[in-house]
Amino acid sequence: MGVGARTNKAIAALTIVLAMVMMIGCTREVIKEVEVPVEVTKEVVVEKIVEVEKEPEQMQETPSTASEGDGGPKVYQLGIFEDLTTANYWSYMGPNGTIWNSYVLGGKPSLYTLSAQRFDYVPSVAADFSTPLKEENVDGVTLWTTEVPLKQGVKWSDGNDVTAHDFVFTAHTVLDLELTGNWSSVVDPKFFDHAEALDDYRLKVYFKEKPGLARWQFGLAFMSMLSKAYWEPVVEEAKKEANAIEQQRILYAHVPENEPSAGGYLFRKWERGAFAENTKNDDYYFTGAEVTHYANGAYAESKPGSYEFTAYGDPSGETSLEYTDGPFVDSTIYSIFSNQEASILALKKGDVDFMLNPLGLQRGLQQQLEGQPGLANIENPSSGFRYLGFNFTKPPLDNKAFRQAVAVLIDKEFLTGTVLQGVAIPMYTTVPEGNGFWYNPNVSLLGKGLSRAERTAQAVELMKDAGFTWEKEPKVSDNGTVEVEGEGLKMPNGEPMPTLEILAPSAGYDPLRSTFAIWIERWLKDMGIPAKAKLTEFNVIVERTRDPENFDMWILGWGLSTFPDYLEAFFHSRHFGGDGHNRGGYSNEEFDALAEALLVETDLNAARDQVFEMQEFLADDLPYVVLFTTPILETYRDDRLAFPFTENLGGLQRTGGSTSTVAIK
Amino acid sequence: MGNYLARRTGQIILTLFLIVSVAFFLVQAQPGDYTAVFAQNPDLPPEVRAQVQAAFGLDKSLGEQYLVHIKNSFTGQFGVSFQHYPRTVMEVITERLPRTAVLFLTATVISFYVGFALGKLMAWKRGGLFEYTATVSGAVLFTMFTPWFALMMIWIFSFQLGWFPLGKFLDPLLWRDAPVAANKVFNDMLMTAAAFSVFVLFAILASRKAGGRQFRQWLVPALVIGSVMVPVAWAMSGIGYLALDILKHMVLPIGTLTVISFAGTMLLTRNSMLEVLREDFVMAARAKGLPERVVRDKHAARNALLPVVTSLVYSLAFAIDGSVIIEGIFSWPGMGMTLLQAVRSEDLPLVMGAFVFIGIFALVAHLIADLLYAYLDPRIRYQ
Repeated sequence: MGVGARTNKAIAALTIVLAMVMMIGCTREVIKEVEVPVEVTKEVVVEKIVEVEKEPEQMQETPSTASEGDGGPKVYQLGIFEDLTTANYWSYMGPNGTIWNSYVLGGKPSLYTLSAQRFDYVPSVAADFSTPLKEENVDGVTLWTTEVPLKQGVKWSDGNDVTAHDFVFTAHTVLDLELTGNWSSVVDPKFFDHAEALDDYRLKVYFKEKPGLARWQFGLAFMSMLSKAYWEPVVEEAKKEANAIEQQRILYAHVPENEPSAGGYLFRKWERGAFAENTKNDDYYFTGAEVTHYANGAYAESKPGSYEFTAYGDPSGETSLEYTDGPFVDSTIYSIFSNQEASILALKKGDVDFMLNPLGLQRGLQQQLEGQPGLANIENPSSGFRYLGFNFTKPPLDNKAFRQAVAVLIDKEFLTGTVLQGVAIPMYTTVPEGNGFWYNPNVSLLGKGLSRAERTAQAVELMKDAGFTWEKEPKVSDNGTVEVEGEGLKMPNGEPMPTLEILAPSAGYDPLRSTFAIWIERWLKDMGIPAKAKLTEFNVIVERTRDPENFDMWILGWGLSTFPDYLEAFFHSRHFGGDGHNRGGYSNEEFDALAEALLVETDLNAARDQVFEMQEFLADDLPYVVLFTTPILETYRDDRLAFPFTENLGGLQRTGGSTSTVAIK
Repeated sequence: MGNYLARRTGQIILTLFLIVSVAFFLVQAQPGDYTAVFAQNPDLPPEVRAQVQAAFGLDKSLGEQYLVHIKNSFTGQFGVSFQHYPRTVMEVITERLPRTAVLFLTATVISFYVGFALGKLMAWKRGGLFEYTATVSGAVLFTMFTPWFALMMIWIFSFQLGWFPLGKFLDPLLWRDAPVAANKVFNDMLMTAAAFSVFVLFAILASRKAGGRQFRQWLVPALVIGSVMVPVAWAMSGIGYLALDILKHMVLPIGTLTVISFAGTMLLTRNSMLEVLREDFVMAARAKGLPERVVRDKHAARNALLPVVTSLVYSLAFAIDGSVIIEGIFSWPGMGMTLLQAVRSEDLPLVMGAFVFIGIFALVAHLIADLLYAYLDPRIRYQ
């Protein structure tokens, strides 16, 4: 063997050894983790501090992949369509307020809550309703105060009691760090002054001004409480910074580890882009609580040996809903799917039990699932509406008769039933019918049930009475054929009717609203009103409606809260301009007074009367023509899941998949 | 060469500046900003939106914002992502990049290998049934509507046959007690692939130096040892089952990507190979009596490789930006989905960061491709 050959062999051997060393080197770290299991957690925490939650101790014993059939944990598998953006509750209620975060992170304790299905206002951590608001002089300042008794025995998962101090800590942190986002809608610094723990289980809240239901009962009293014991060091660290933005950054950047919860579930793990998991809180106080809704409106809740609560009448007679609080499953896993088609296949195959989506399923996809074994389809109205808005700064849109004529011309039943084949539900009022407590059944429903000819005649009548004139008056035959198209329409001031643009989302974004826009354009043209539907991007509409010079009419939608204080936000004149929600510039002193009264009303029944009056007012004055709402279509595996109820405004997604009441069969 | 490199580096910086500027103004051309979402919540007063705008610097003038983003882009300080506040852009990118790299680099390499092998055979058997069949099938698959095709793949292979998982990159039931995060496994997989590639490269170079019979004598055992070492190391690591789960989830998207994209390389190779086969040195090789396989693989195919390698280098660079369609349908959240969501929600820092990242890769790939030209073709020299 020559020197050259030996050298070649040596190089080759060296190469192999070198490569082996590299391979072993790159896997050495991994091998080490196995040999020293204690270090695995340490390493994960250090290297992947934002990626993996340290496992709560109680979950160490949980078997990994077993299903309930073989004695393993009962796992409720849900699908979601976007990843979480944070595991930090402060951040979720602040800049990261996505619906997907809420599905997983929701469930923190609050003083009061809304009951399932009927949305009765009931105590949660509070032991009873708060005392009536009263004026008090505190250090020379007049404040409004109320007291709240708290239940004893409600515990955080770290063993500490949930106390008034936790409420005080949370509310004051929001104030001190000037937290924004959804925090500002529950802790309104214009109203909230401070809170005080009279003792562990008695809370006193001080307001600068008399708070209405929206600020206290449906605002601050719903605030999620966070554990003072856990969060206080983080907040104190944040407060060392000079400005609020930096303080917030530090608070939001904290990645919770073993954060205590007092809800039915504990946040356990988040594998970014893949799934998140919550596990059952074995110390959940309300497990076993029995809730009964009576047909007469009464509400009863009790936990044998712990507490009993009744409200809203005599808890006797026929019941409309009965259920026991859980949780009855050991773990909820939220798997992330990026498209509905794949998620449907996963549902059919049994990889997930229920898909959480604020928009529900597309109808075509749900139809694919009809009759599939083990699956049940459900349909509920969504809590929201799509509307046609008017720019009150431009004639003739500021003319009530004109708006009423437009409302009469829009045949919602025809569009939703015949054109859209039932995929939308016609709607007339600014409070959905499903929101039973606040819905006014006596609101006038302009145009409902009229034929095309009747609509045209009524619209012509309304406009003529208001001073509009035609050179050629429109006429529609009894069978709906347009016999005469309106021509030469002039406004009451004698000027010709200007071309009116209807901004609406494009068919790609929302085919329902674009269909409505196209048909409204057609019906207005038949009347001689030169209308033009402009189908465009959602963001374009939002931006254009910021400037009253830039639009005439627009079609958008709102998701609605249960307490209808949104009526004030949408229509009070002070919300006109810029980012204010009163984009159309509706201004009516009478309505403004009603809206202001609602904001400071503290009595539930009086507030209801005010809301009824506001609905009647709006149905007549028509700053919006409410068009329709959509059903929430959902499908779940009924061969695995048993829900206590499936009828719910907003669908089961609104309850986050009913994780605390669902049972696995 | 030094001058050439310096000139090209200057061009890269200038091009990157243009990319970043265009990206900034395109995103800004969209109506509204990231905080538009706050305008749609009736429970939030407009002041809240104003506060958040101030916190994110969106209250500044367009010029001021532009200068800030340009400075950030060239100092590597992309700042904080709006969507993932307060996580930094780099944190988000380093989280998403390994997932995209593992999937798309693997798919690109496989697709190029399949395309090159088939293209070589097509040119060699020109005019035969194989060429026609491969051309037609390749063209059909290449022009297939990707979302539909990907969904059909899922429906057939995952839902009907049950061979593969229904999208996603892991099985939550398996991973709920996993001792490490998925990104660690992805990074380790990338490291393993890199180490194995280096190993193979060294083995080939060393064996080639040995030459002749000794080439195979060294290379084959080295490859066998290397191929055995990888699974053994993973099995010993204790997290091999997690890597296996990811591999299981990779099969279908890689298969789909390969099937819809190999045709490009195949046709490119075929055309390049046909050119080479007309050259005199191929005839000379045949005249020497060399076996057909040797003429095809060693003499013709190697010379036909030049445009294919260039194409591969570009593809590898662009593989890091993933594919919105494939990532979306297979629920594989990588750079493609990240960029799309960032653009849609006007998360400017993340958009800029992602574009700079992709831009640098693409521009450097161009430079490498040019240098490879000079390496592979001795006739090319840069002044």
